[in-house]
Amino acid sequence: MFRNITIGQYIPGDSVVHKLDPRIKIIITFIFIVATFLINKLSGYLFAVFYLYLIITISKIPFSYILKGLRPVIIILLLTVSLNMFFTPGGTILYTLGPLKITTTGLRLAVFMGLRLIFLIIGTSLLTLTTSPISLTDGIEHILKPFSRIGVPAHELAMMMTIALRFIPTLIEEAEKIMKAQMARGADFESGNIVKRAKGLVPLLVPLFISAFRRADELAVAMESRCYRGGQNRTRMKQLKIQPRDYQALAVTLIMVLLIVWNRVWTW
Amino acid sequence: MEHVINTQNLSFEYHAEEQTRHLVLKDINLQFEKGQFIGIIGHNGSGKSTLAKHFNALLLPTEGKVYVKGMDTKDTNHLWDIRQAAGLVFQNPDNQIVAAIVEEDVAFGPENLGIPPDEIRERVEYALKAVGMWEYKDYPPHMLSGGQKQRVAIAGIIAMKPECIILDEPTAMLDPIGRREVISTIKKLNKEDGITVILITHFMEEVVDADRVIVMDDGKVVLDGTPKEVFKEVTLLKKIGLSVPQVTELAHQLKREGFDVPLDILTVEEMVEFLCR
Repeated sequence: MFRNITIGQYIPGDSVVHKLDPRIKIIITFIFIVATFLINKLSGYLFAVFYLYLIITISKIPFSYILKGLRPVIIILLLTVSLNMFFTPGGTILYTLGPLKITTTGLRLAVFMGLRLIFLIIGTSLLTLTTSPISLTDGIEHILKPFSRIGVPAHELAMMMTIALRFIPTLIEEAEKIMKAQMARGADFESGNIVKRAKGLVPLLVPLFISAFRRADELAVAMESRCYRGGQNRTRMKQLKIQPRDYQALAVTLIMVLLIVWNRVWTW
Repeated sequence: MEHVINTQNLSFEYHAEEQTRHLVLKDINLQFEKGQFIGIIGHNGSGKSTLAKHFNALLLPTEGKVYVKGMDTKDTNHLWDIRQAAGLVFQNPDNQIVAAIVEEDVAFGPENLGIPPDEIRERVEYALKAVGMWEYKDYPPHMLSGGQKQRVAIAGIIAMKPECIILDEPTAMLDPIGRREVISTIKKLNKEDGITVILITHFMEEVVDADRVIVMDDGKVVLDGTPKEVFKEVTLLKKIGLSVPQVTELAHQLKREGFDVPLDILTVEEMVEFLCR
C-alpha cells in the first residue's frame, strides 16, 4: 500500500531543463510567478503560455503530469474564482441570482485570479517535476546561504531535508513491517468508518514513532563520530557551477518578463 | 613505538538512577599496535560496546585515560582529530547512513573535515572501490542489501583516512551472505590497505584470523592473546557464556575421549590437515 509513494514528483530525464543549475531554476520560478502577477491584460497571458509551452516541450514532461498537479488544488481554485466573481462590487451588473451579482469587474478579477493560480501551480510543479529532491535541497541551501548571516539556518534546513529524504523510504518499509505484524495479530486497518480506521492506526503509529526516535538517536551518534559539527568549515563534494545554458535560460525568462511589462504598459 | 590506541586504568561508570552506580568498565589497560587485526569478543552486557565508544571520544572515561595516537580523548582540542583517526562503524547500517545517495554519504565525513572538493572525489572513489561498492555510487541506500549498506558505512569511514577502524558488531543484523561480504571487506582493508581493525563481535569464527583476540566479561579483560591461545581456554570461555569455533569444540571432545589432538585447532582446514597426517 505504501510502495507507490514517490518523494516529490520528480520525473528523471536528461533534457536541458533537467540539467539546469537548481539555483537558477528556483530563481527562474520566482521570476515567473512575479511575472504572472504583473499581467493585467488577457493578451499578456499569451507570452506566459508560450513560455510554459517552450519549457514543457524541451523538458519532454508529458502534459498529463502537469494537469495532475492541478487536481489537488481544484477546490481552492473554484473557491477563489467564485468568491471573486460574486463578491466584487463595481462595474455593470451582468446577471443576478438572488443576493449574488455577477459584475463585469468581478468577472474580470475572477478570470485573472484563476489564471494566476493555474500558472503559479504549473510553474512550481515544472520545477519539482524536473529537479530531483536532492539537487533541489542543494539549490535551496546555496540560495539561503547569504542569509545565514542574519540568522537563517541554511545548512541546518538543508541537512534536515537530506535526512528526511534518506529516511522516508526506510520508515515506509518499517511501517509496512509493523502493519503486517499487527495484521498477523488480528488488527484491522481497512474496514469501518473514518473514526474507526483512524483509531486502528494507533498501534501502527506508536511503534513507528518510537523506532523513529531511536533511529534519530543512533544517527546523531553516528554523525558525531563522523566529525559532524554543523555547517562551519564544511566543504561539499558536489560544487554547483553556472553553465552557459543557465545564462541562456535566464535570458529567455527575462525576455518573457520584458514582453509582459511591455504588454502591461504600452498596449491595451 | 606509539600505539594507535592506548588505555590506562580505564574505568567507566554509568549512572542509571541517582543512587545506583553501575561500573561498566573496570580498570582496562590495552595497547593496540598499528596495522593489527584485533578481535574483541564478549557476550551482551560485557562492556565491549561501551569500550568501543571510548576509542573515539563518544564516551569519556570516569577514571583513567584513553589515548588515540597519543592524544588524550579528554582533550577537547583534539576531539575531531581523534574521531578522524579512529572511525567507528555501528551495528545497524540503516541508522548511520546520512545521505540519500551512496557517494554523497561516503563524502559526508570528508566534507565535515573541510577537505577540498576534488580531493573528496578522489577519496570517495578510493573508499568505494576498497569496499567493492563503486558500481553502486549513484544508488539510494534503501535499494541496497544489508551487507552492501554496511560496506557503504565502512567506505564512509575509510574516506576519512583513519588510522584505525573500530567495528561494533557490524554483522549482527546481517544475513550469512552479508556477513561474509562485510568480514572479507574488513580483512582486505587490514591486509591490503594496512588499516588497523578492531572488530567487536560475538561470532567466534570472525576473529579466528585475527592477530590478537581479547575476551571481555563483566567489564574486565579476561583473556588476551592470539586466537590459538584464547580459544584453547574452552572451559573458561564456556563459563562466561561464549562458545568456541565448532572445530575447536570437536578437538576438545576428541581430547576428552582420549585422542591426542592439539587443542589450538581453529579452522576446518587445520583439522583436516591434522587428521590426514
